[in-house]
Parts: sequence; C-alpha cells; structure tokens
Amino acid sequence: MSRPGETSRPRLARGCRISEQAGQESTLLMPEGAIRLNPPGLKILRQCDGAHTFAEIVSVLQGEFAAAAPERVAEDTAVFLEQLQERRVVDYE
Amino acid sequence: MTGPLALIAELTHRCPLHCVYCSNPVQMQERAAELTTAQWGDVFREAAALGVMQADFTGGEPLARADLVELVAAARQAGLYINLITSGIGLNENRLQALVAAGVDHIQLSFQDVNKAGADEIAGARAHAHKLALAKRIRQHHVAFTMNVVVHRQNLERLPQIIALAEELQADKLEIANVQYYGWALENRAALLPSEQQLSESLATVKAAQERLRGRMRIDFVVPDYYGKYPKPCMDGWGRKLMLINPAGEAMPCHAAGVIPGMRFANVTNKPLRWIWEESEAFQRFRGEAWMPEPCRSCERRGQDFGGCRCQALLLAGDASTTDPACSLAPSHHVVATALAQANPAPVAAGDEAARPVMKPSWVYRPNPQ
Repeated sequence: MSRPGETSRPRLARGCRISEQAGQESTLLMPEGAIRLNPPGLKILRQCDGAHTFAEIVSVLQGEFAAAAPERVAEDTAVFLEQLQERRVVDYE
Repeated sequence: MTGPLALIAELTHRCPLHCVYCSNPVQMQERAAELTTAQWGDVFREAAALGVMQADFTGGEPLARADLVELVAAARQAGLYINLITSGIGLNENRLQALVAAGVDHIQLSFQDVNKAGADEIAGARAHAHKLALAKRIRQHHVAFTMNVVVHRQNLERLPQIIALAEELQADKLEIANVQYYGWALENRAALLPSEQQLSESLATVKAAQERLRGRMRIDFVVPDYYGKYPKPCMDGWGRKLMLINPAGEAMPCHAAGVIPGMRFANVTNKPLRWIWEESEAFQRFRGEAWMPEPCRSCERRGQDFGGCRCQALLLAGDASTTDPACSLAPSHHVVATALAQANPAPVAAGDEAARPVMKPSWVYRPNPQ
C-alpha cells in the first residue's frame, strides 16, 4: 500500500533531506537526485517527521490554502505522498 | 549557461581491488599527485556556488584517503549531498560512524557477485565476506543504502540471486549496471559482453522484480549500450550536468575523456571552477550541437542522446567526433555488430559441444598506481 491512510505517519526515508538555503528555492535532496519544492510541497514535507498523521498534515494545508477546495487539497496531498513513497523518498510509520 | 548538478570527486585511483572492468583510466594518477584536503575543500565550496547539489565520492577506493572524514565534513559544510561509492574495504564500525556523523547521506556498496568464488575472481582479491558483514552494519545507520552490482557474461545467470541478496540486505535501491566497455573493461570485453539471450532473460527478470518490489526497493537496470538501437545519452550530454575532478585536480567532462588525443584539462588548483565549466576548452569541445557530424546533426534524437559517447567513438571508431558506434545509424556501427556476432555464436549440437575445447576467460587485472 503506497497511498497514505488517515492515520499514516509519513516521514522522510533514510538519505532524504530538505535543503533550505537563503535566497534559493527549497530542494528535497535524495540519493543521486533532487526535487525542487513549491510552497505546498515544502509545507507537506516539513511535517513528514513520523509524528504528524496524514490527516493532520492535510488539515494544516487546508488552513494555509483556504481558497482551495478542501477535498482537492486532501486528494493532491495523498497523490504527492504516494508518488514520493514509490520513489522511496517517504516511508509511513 | 546553467551550472553542473553533480560533481564526481575521484579522490584517488588507489584501490585494494583489481576489478577486470574498472572504469579508471589505464593511465592512473599517482598518490603523490593527489589533491590535498584543503584543495578538495576549495573545490566543494566553488562547486556549491556554481549550483552543484550532489557530490559523488568515488575513486579508486575513496576509503584509501586517510582524510575521508574531513573531506565529507567539508563537502557537507559547503551544502552538498554526499554519495559515497565504495567497495567497503577499509570500512570498520568506527570509521563508518565517523563518516555518518560527518554527513554522508548515501552509501553505495559494490558487490562483484553473489557467491564468494565469482566475486573474488572478478575483484582479484578476497572481499566478498567482508562486504556482506558491512552491508548489515550500514543498515543500522541513518543513511540511504544502495547495493551496486556490475553484471556481465560471467554472472548474469545469477541475477535472481543478486536480487534476492539485495532484499536480504534490505537495500533501498539495487543498481544493476552492465559493464561499459572502456579502459580495463575494453581489454576484457570478449569475456564480459553478454549474449542476446542472457540480456533478454535479464530484462524479464528485472521487470518482474520491479513490479513485485514496487515501493519497497527500487531497481535500476543499466542495459549494455552495444545492444541498443540508439546510443546512451552519455553523461547526460557533454558539459551539460556533470563535472568530474580526477585525483590530481584535472576537471573532466567524463571519467574516460583522457583517452581523447589533444584533449587538455584545466586544473582546479590554478583555475576557478566556474571558468573551467563555462570557458575551458575541454568542456566546450563537444558541448551543444555545433560539433555534430551526420547522421547526428539532422537526427531528431540529437537532443535526447547527444550523439552518444565521445570516448566510445574514439575507442571503437578512432575518431572522438564521429557518431557513437553503438548507434545503429552510425557509419562505424559494424565494429559493434562484429563484437555482438562474436558474443552470439551460432548454436552447436550437444554432441559437438561436449567435444569442444573451451578457453576459460583470462583476465587483465588493473594494478595499483604508485
């Protein structure tokens, strides 16, 4: 199962970390690769610490991007995490 | 112009193994010529300023550098992500802990085979048992772990066991790379080039395993370019994304570029890295499309494979600026076709086969530089 459940606690996999340097776009660094992160992507991954649940992450995002449809935010977050899990960048607790 | 994304730091050409397909140049750099700790530190800071995100620490065997922990710390402090590409020889628990603490993000441990006899024959050294024990210890640390296996005619039949070993060792990724025929591997090509049947079986095995292990372990499979219809996009294009610094500080567009006659490399000890990337002769030589001959120049794939590999063109066709002979459209493709014909002899009746004298491969092992 690579799609997160409500109570899944995603965390960054070993060897994956966020690089935030002043004046530069935030980047998720991983073995032999990197993904540039937009603000919602960064917001999600900062909370991927093995402590926050998927439901909590979605709720923070829905608060931050209040103009977006809540169910759309939940779906996009699930797809984002699912893709990162398949690439072995995110694990679920 | 965009800067390079990754820096390949060839820290030394010294290595305790003697692999018959080693990618180091046949002319290796001596220990006395190696960059110092401080010089590498300057390289890492200049690279980060140029936009480099990843550093691949390789060699030779990077662990042969007594200052490896300091080098890792310097690169990490510069803001780089650190991949350590190693045979594991010379890595005990204390040193492993120190490297992880200094900032290694990802360890790629190479295996030569799944069984001890096969592995030790390829490496020309007894190393396999140590690697198995080390892999288990790496897994105890908070780093990504890739198991890397070079495959070829002599070990492809054991691909299912290679995949099983990677699962057992709980690798995050298994990288299965077919030998590329440069340097030492070209010397040993006849014994290394797989048959077409071996290749098609291995593709099916990999595909099934990728599906079975999706989300648990990634499997990358590098196919041998001799069997491709089109050439590989070597280094993702000359001077486009990667920069290699050899042990002596020469900056190269690829690790084999030294074989190209007349190629002069700027050295990081007397030129800024940015100037080398943007202006130096070696990085300009095959950058972009202006150098391309036909059929590349008008080929619709020229932006995908960039004419293939310049070094392979030199080694096989005698001209670095011709189309890679691995390409089926290349005027010199017959040299690759001949090698493939030798790797795929016509079938022989079982009775004849039993009576046939066979020469076991005789290897040319790479020695150690002074």
